[in-house]
Formats: sequence, structure tokens, C-alpha cells
Amino acid sequence: MLECRDLSFHYDRCEPGEMPDFHFSFRLAPGECLSVEGPSGSGKSTLLGLLAGFLEPAGGTLAWQGQDLLALPPWERGITTVFQEHNLFDQLPVWLNVGLGLAPDMKLTRDQQTRIRSGLAEVGLEGLHDRLPGELSGGQRQRVALLRALLRGSRILLLDEPFSGLDETTRGGLWALVRRQRAAGAAVVLVSHDRDDIEALADRRCRLEGGRLVPIA
Amino acid sequence: MASRWATLSRWPPGLGLAALTAVVGLGLGSLGALLWQARVVQPAMLWQEPWLAAVLRFTVWQATLSTLLAVGLAVPVALALARRPRFPGRAVLLRAMELSLVLPTLIGLFGLVAVHGRRGWAAPLWEWLVGAESGYLYGLSGIVLAHVFYNLPLSARLMLQSLETAPAAHWRLASQLGLTRTTLWRTLEWPRLKPLLPRLSALVFTLCFTSFAIVMTLGGGPRSSTLEVALYQALKFDHDLALAALLALTQLVICLSLWLLALSRGGTPSLVVGSAALPAGGRWHRRDGVGVSRLTDAVWLTALAALLLPPLVAVVLAGLTGLPDLPRSGSLWPAAARSLVMALGAGAGALLLAMALLAGSRWLRARRRAWAALLMEGGGQLILVIPSLVLGTGLFLLLRPTLGSGWQGYALVVLVNALMALPFAMQVVRGALPGLSAPEERLADQFGIRGWARLRWLVWPRLRRPLALALAYAMTLSLGDFSVIALFGSPSAPTLPMLLYQQLGGYRWQGAAATALVLLTLVVLIFALLGWLTRRPPRYPCNHNAREERHARVS
Repeated sequence: MLECRDLSFHYDRCEPGEMPDFHFSFRLAPGECLSVEGPSGSGKSTLLGLLAGFLEPAGGTLAWQGQDLLALPPWERGITTVFQEHNLFDQLPVWLNVGLGLAPDMKLTRDQQTRIRSGLAEVGLEGLHDRLPGELSGGQRQRVALLRALLRGSRILLLDEPFSGLDETTRGGLWALVRRQRAAGAAVVLVSHDRDDIEALADRRCRLEGGRLVPIA
Repeated sequence: MASRWATLSRWPPGLGLAALTAVVGLGLGSLGALLWQARVVQPAMLWQEPWLAAVLRFTVWQATLSTLLAVGLAVPVALALARRPRFPGRAVLLRAMELSLVLPTLIGLFGLVAVHGRRGWAAPLWEWLVGAESGYLYGLSGIVLAHVFYNLPLSARLMLQSLETAPAAHWRLASQLGLTRTTLWRTLEWPRLKPLLPRLSALVFTLCFTSFAIVMTLGGGPRSSTLEVALYQALKFDHDLALAALLALTQLVICLSLWLLALSRGGTPSLVVGSAALPAGGRWHRRDGVGVSRLTDAVWLTALAALLLPPLVAVVLAGLTGLPDLPRSGSLWPAAARSLVMALGAGAGALLLAMALLAGSRWLRARRRAWAALLMEGGGQLILVIPSLVLGTGLFLLLRPTLGSGWQGYALVVLVNALMALPFAMQVVRGALPGLSAPEERLADQFGIRGWARLRWLVWPRLRRPLALALAYAMTLSLGDFSVIALFGSPSAPTLPMLLYQQLGGYRWQGAAATALVLLTLVVLIFALLGWLTRRPPRYPCNHNAREERHARVS
């Protein structure tokens, strides 16, 4: 269970009243998906930044199965974020981009390389093993990023509008990948404006209002 | 695609062409005048005359060594700064780095002498460590130290800037995946630094190769003299135009070849330092930021602070001790006024030329005449490889029949300084000059926002900061000039750098300290004033309805 209790944050450089003080609380079971909606500036990226460890909270707690995540650096939290873009390193071929999720020192064993190859084939990217990210379509790039999260065995998957600008067929393929992660036990936080994405993936829906998460019935 | 209104305008190509003709004409004309006067240039002298061969060897050697050290050491410094976005003193260190970029050479030298000279602050430490008198500031080691003092901060700032251009998502991803130091270097750091290195190295090499004031002050004799100093001596004392022409051509050929090589290496990274921005708020975890790199980063950053801060502090402290002498210093204030007027002239000249060339180049680029556009921009950069002394002497020879003494000599210095500052002004303004993107231009056309209104409300707010920065850079370069002024200035009517050189040469330490402080204050004031003026938000037309609503609410 992912438990977030009164995780709070305040932007120092803002004018008074420009941004609210943020206080986030929610619970998310393994395999469950929570969608977060809200207009620009409502704090969606702030929430993901706090969960991932990119921002330091002013207070509150964050735990996974009872383990305090706030005490851990981002790479030990078992969290993977998939952003709208820039998920891949441009100068690395596809297989190495995936490989970073398995070996941060890029020293991949033979077994890991085999897993990457079969993983790419499973998500329909066979033959693109040695391509550079610039040679892929937007949907293919996101598939690579999701495959990396899958092979990494992330406990929590944060999706920061990763399906924006993609056509319906491509999105359908990516939804399937997210469902595979959920089936493997990953809790998913999905930030999206798109009703189709939300309906396809989310078990529960929340809206950000005044710096707080409000459930949508 | 350019908008219809931009298409209709005939001003940019005309102005650009006029500026290009002036710049290339003056540059090549001055070189031609020197060659013409020299009549006979004997390249064989370079290897047949032992002293000349020695000067050439020393010039290449000191420039190579300085470049290797400045650029090579800048890599770990920039990586350490990028790895540690928040530590006490980071802002001070970055400010010191920026200050050293615009610090007139003679002030830096003053500070270096105060710290590393025979009776400097570091002398007791040196004597304790080595057991001999500290003399390393003179000769090759001193020249290289001064070049590193000036060029390491420049290189490190440009590298840091380049590292910070990586998308934030990549850094976050790297943090989340826990990439190791080697992987980070391979995936994020090296790809950002690699395109920068050829042009940066060429720039640093050119600056060290043509360095004048540093070699004049720390060179100490024929064994450590460079082409630029030999050129100065040939012109000023020996009146040997043939030798001067040979030295100028040698310098030109070497620098130009190096630039062509660097430019052929692809990539056009900016060689202008922007403002130092901190990354977005919050923690910025990097797996390579822990463990042994804490120690190594601390060592690099302490070494940088030890290189930069003491000379800067020495200038300020020595200046403060010289403050009581300021009111009595008869020649200081006229020199300051002279310097400021000349700097303003040179700055305005450089800015106008830069705007004309860039507007012309943009006009050509919009019509898919890429080669012509490149030629127009390249024309402005030509000055980088022509020594300022050659430019000044050539122009002097060209204008000699009509050029009198006194103010005309100073006008020539202003012109040469404007030309010398042109490449830097162009680099600063280049990115911002379009003012509006093509879609914005179409939008402005659609709403009929044209002419003055377009310039005032849409273009000017984007342009004013880069223009102010370019003006500040150009003014500072002119303010600190001590090459052309040494040739054409009158000792009885000196500028601030000339006065400082006279005072240092005459061992008038107190007076030199005060002069250095005034010069430094002027540099800081120019940047602060122009920065302040352009930081204020533009005054948009008053919204009467909003004001009435506000009044109604209050009442």
C-alpha cells in the first residue's frame, strides 16, 4: 500500500496567493491506478515531484508497505516516472535506453540483454533494437520508456501525461503496457487531461483543488 | 517563413551590406595598408632569425599550455558546479567567475601581483613550501597562471551553461534510475560538452595567442615574448613595418586555420555566458553526488575559489587603502571621464554594427540565401583573427594623410575598440534579434500591429536585455583596452588602463590601487546600471477601465 499523509509543500519564490500551500493525502493499493486531474498550475507536477523525490516536502509522510520513502533517494524508492517527453537519452540506442533501467552502470549481463531483446519484441519494437530515439515515432519512444519501467520492476509508476498527442491506436498499445505493470503489482498515479486515458486506466479519480486532492465520485 | 511586412522592408539588407562593407573593408583594408607599406615580407625570417623563431615557439607553447590547462581544468570544475547546485558560496563563486570575464586585464594583473608577486600574500607560503623566493609570477609560469585566471572561469561557465541545457526530465530520469558517475558522463555530460570543446578551445587559444597586456607585464624579456608584443615593439619603437606585417600575417594565418578547423567540427554552441540560473526548486538528487565525489568536488571548487577570489579581494582591499588619495589624484578623474566617453562610443558603435549585420543576415536567411547570410555574419567575426594592433596600425596608415594628433588618435581607438567588441556583441544579440518568431509575426500581421507599435510593444521587450548586455560587454572591453591605446594614446592624456600601467611601472602602488578600484567600480556600475534599467517591466499603456474598477473597489 502506498500511503501519503499530509505531504506538504510551499513554493518560496511565488507571490502571496499565486500558488496555494499543497497538502496531499491518499492511499493506493498495489495494482491500483489513481488519476489526478486539475487545471495547469494546480499542483499535478508538484505532487509527482514530491512522490518521486525531486522536491523536498515541508512535512508529512510517504510510505510503501510501511517503509518510509522520504528517507530514500529517488533511485532507491522503486518509482519510475514517464514524462510527456524527454524520457530517452538521445545519443543512446533503444536497447541501452531500456538497459539503464536494469543496470545504471550500463554493464549489462548477457541475461539482461536477452531480456531487453525479448521485451522489445513483446511490445512490438523488434528490429528497432539499435535505433536512436530520434529515429522513432512519439508512440514508439513512450513504449520504450514504459518497457524500461516494466523491466525495472517499479513498485510505483508515475505517469505525467505520457499519452498526450498520440493517436488512439498507439494509446491503446501503451494502455496495455500500463495494465501489465499493474498486473505485476505496481501502483499507478496517472496525471492526464484526457477522458479516454482516465476511463481506460483509472480505478479512482481525484481532482486538485486549493492544493488538496478531492475525490471525484 | 518571414511575414509580409518583414518581406517588404528594404532596410535590413541595405544596413547589413553597409555594415559588412565597413567592417570587412576596414579589417582587410588595414591589413592591406600594412602590407602595402611593408613592401617586402619575408616569411623565411620566421625560421632564419633565431629570436623570431624563439618568439613564435614561445607564443605557440604558452597559448597551447594555457588552453590545455584552462579548458582541461574547467571540465572537473564545471562538473562539480553542475553536480552541486546548492552549497554555501556557490552564488559568490559564480559571480566571481562572471566578474573575471569582464575584468580589464590590467586589474586582474594588479590583483595577481598583489597575491602571487614577490611580496604578495602567497609569497610566505611559497617560501615555506619551496624554500626559495617566490618568482613564479614572471615568465612562462606567470603568463600561464594569468591566462588560466582569465580563461578557466570563462570555459567553466560555458561548460556549466551547456550542461544546464539538458532537459530537466533527463536529470530527473537519471536520478530516478540511479545512474552511476560513468553512465552519467556518457549519457548526459559528455554529449553536452563535446560540441562545445572545439570552438571553446579555439577561442581560448586565440585569446592567449594574441594576449598583449599579460605578456607585456609578466613576460620579462625576450625569452618570454610573444608575436603580439614583438608586433607592438616593431611598430612603436623600431618602426619596422615589414616585420610588423610578417608578424601580423603569421598571427592571422595561425588563428584563422585554427578557427576553420574548429568550425569544421560542427555544432554552433553559444560562446557567450548567460545569466547564472539555479535549477528549479527542491532537491536535485544525483547518485554520483555522494561518496568520494564529495571530496573531489570540494577540492576542485576550493581550488577555483583560491585562484579567483584572492586577486579580486586584493584589488578591492588595495583600492580601499588608496581611497584617501582619490581626491588628490589629479590625473585620475580626467582619465576616468576619457575612458567612459570612449567606452560609450565604442559600445554604441559595436551595437549598431552588430544589429545591422544580424538584421541583414536574418533577412537573407528568411529568403533561403543561407550562404550570403553566413557570409554576413562571418564578416563580423573576421575581426577576431585580426590583431587589434594590426587593425589600429593599418587604419592609422590608411588615414595618415588626414589624421592629426590628439582627439583623432582617440577616435581611431574608439573605432578599433568598436570593431574588436563586435564579435562578442553579435554573439549576445544573435539569439534574441528576431524578436518575434515566425508564428508571432503572422499573428501580429493578422491584428495589424505594425511599425512603431510592433517594435515598442512586441519586439523591444524581448530585445532590451540582450542589447543592454551586449552594450555592457562592448563598453567593458573598451574600458579595459590596453593594446590599441598603448599605440595611439598620449601619455599626458591617459585612459584608466594607461594610467594604471604608468603607475605600476613607476611603482606608485597607492595610486595604482586607487585607479584599479575606480576602473573596477566603473565595470561593475555599467553592468549593474544597464541590468537595473532593463530589469524593470516595460510600461504598458494604462488600462483605464482597470484603474476605474480599482478606484470603485477602494471607495
